[in-house]
Amino acid sequence: MSDVSAEQRRLNLMIALSRTRHRLTREQIRARVDGYDTVPAGATEEERQRADASFQRMFERDKDELRSMGLPLRTITDPVHQDDLGYRIDGDTAMPALDLSLQDAAVLALAVEYWAGKPLEADARHGFAKLISAIGHGESPSLPFGGMSTTAGADATSTLAAAVSDRQVVRFEYASASSPTRRRTVQPWGIVMRAGVDYLVGWDQDAEAVRTFRLGRVQGSVKTVGEPEAFERPAALPLGGLEESAPDQIAVVAVRPEAGHALRRRGEPVGAEDGWELFQVAYRHADLLRAEVLALQGGAKVMEPGELAESVKEHARAAKEVARG
Amino acid sequence: MAETSRDRMVRMLGMVAYLEANGPTPVKTLAAHFGVTERRARDELWTLGTSGVPPYLPDECLDFDFDALDEGLAILRDSQGVSQVRLSGQEAIALTGALGTMLDAGTAPAGAEQVLARIREAGGDVAPVTVLEGAEHVGGDIRTALTTAIDDGVAAAIGYVDAQDRRTDRIIEPHRLVAIDGVGYVECWCRKAQDYRTLRLSRIESAAVLDSSQSHGPSEEPGFALEAQYHATVVVARGARWAFEDIGSATITVDDVNATVELGVTDEDWAAARLLSVAPALVSVEPARLREVLRRHADAVLAAQGD
Repeated sequence: MSDVSAEQRRLNLMIALSRTRHRLTREQIRARVDGYDTVPAGATEEERQRADASFQRMFERDKDELRSMGLPLRTITDPVHQDDLGYRIDGDTAMPALDLSLQDAAVLALAVEYWAGKPLEADARHGFAKLISAIGHGESPSLPFGGMSTTAGADATSTLAAAVSDRQVVRFEYASASSPTRRRTVQPWGIVMRAGVDYLVGWDQDAEAVRTFRLGRVQGSVKTVGEPEAFERPAALPLGGLEESAPDQIAVVAVRPEAGHALRRRGEPVGAEDGWELFQVAYRHADLLRAEVLALQGGAKVMEPGELAESVKEHARAAKEVARG
Repeated sequence: MAETSRDRMVRMLGMVAYLEANGPTPVKTLAAHFGVTERRARDELWTLGTSGVPPYLPDECLDFDFDALDEGLAILRDSQGVSQVRLSGQEAIALTGALGTMLDAGTAPAGAEQVLARIREAGGDVAPVTVLEGAEHVGGDIRTALTTAIDDGVAAAIGYVDAQDRRTDRIIEPHRLVAIDGVGYVECWCRKAQDYRTLRLSRIESAAVLDSSQSHGPSEEPGFALEAQYHATVVVARGARWAFEDIGSATITVDDVNATVELGVTDEDWAAARLLSVAPALVSVEPARLREVLRRHADAVLAAQGD
């Protein structure tokens, strides 16, 4: 084995592939780039095969590693010998000058802290190290802020983030609220986060439609299928049902004095009766308003619409039934 | 956490970028900036000095003043065009996702918005993450009052509506604003409770900065108020599992008919309200202690709504 470390070998590979005018084939890389083992002279056929297999594995890993570092490593096919693959790193790969301050570095450190213990932590840590590289050294301020993520789904988020940026098709088992667990094959278009919950928006290849997946419902691991750069992402991500829409229904809710503060803040007062104060409340999702009324432990009741009042009662009765044990 | 080969490669590229931007630098400073020992920093500079373009002739490798390096000073002579690599897609998503989430939760420090904008600008062709507004809104004046009290080390008077809809006036000594799963909280000492509290920002109705200095420093144990009191097991029809998916501590296993939810109960009334919201889908609730709270809530609702 060569005594060159993995990071030095990859550094050399990065430099060699960035400098080559046309491309380097696997054999050229193996022969020229420092850190790869060549076949020793006088090796037996078996030794040669073993060395070949070990080189191929090592090169595959290095290629993936450079790609996930953000380097656009392209496969270049020879126009004459189509199965003779070559590689090159294309375009401007350098971090642009961002002119960040030590205060900015402290802000970015909070973003790393947010993912502590989650798979995205490593990505956040590497990104942080890249961004702070050129900032002149000094004492970073300690900021009275913090954060953490404890939600499920972050495991899938890291893999999907890579697939979105590599434009690589993914496959995973998914249990939607209404249908049984099923395997989905998806072109991942974008990650959406809302209030700590992660979603994937993409093209479901079996359904032939845009779908939104809640990542906490992904079962098991996410696998990539086929090659990178397999599809184009739309310029604007279709957000579908994730976009909040305006309320379109009106309820009348009665609240006890000193209760229902959130409802009071949203609603319009429309009078009082029998020790209750009445408010008109606009809503879109009946289940959310019902949950709000149920949570007030009798501090509120629904006057209108009748179906909503009835379903509040239904829920309370069902709860009593289960509470019997 | 164990350092990976990627950490080392990113750091080596970082040292080149640092020296390009800041000129000759003591190895000691470089080591401190990248959080490694001086010996490690020097070794990595030597490694860089033997890396370059095949066939690695002297003028094809990165070049440092190696005499100066022995004296503890890093001087980069020729970078061979090598520098720090721009952010990968995952890196951009992790950093912008966390910053966007903290901004939405109302718990981002000053300047976070500008940092976010600059990272996005530098992102190039990578797919950024989209951060959508959550349902909770934190008043800008409340945020300003709390950060002012934190910066000045003084108390604040707040009007607070708790999870059971009780409105109280409290005097708190705020220490830190934190985003937990996208929801903003203030970590503080509460003079009324004579204890540390983590209060949800969206439940603070008003906040005013007081003259009174803080009497208690930040708690050594962040997140203390969110510790679970006991564990509960809830079985629901599988279609209702969504009602528990946003609870960070919950694990959900699903079979063909039902979903079994294991969760830590931090606040019984809050848990009971969540169970009520999906009551028709409930199959069983354990332990009996939680069933009793659920029954009490259901009775109170029926007494108000009429049975």
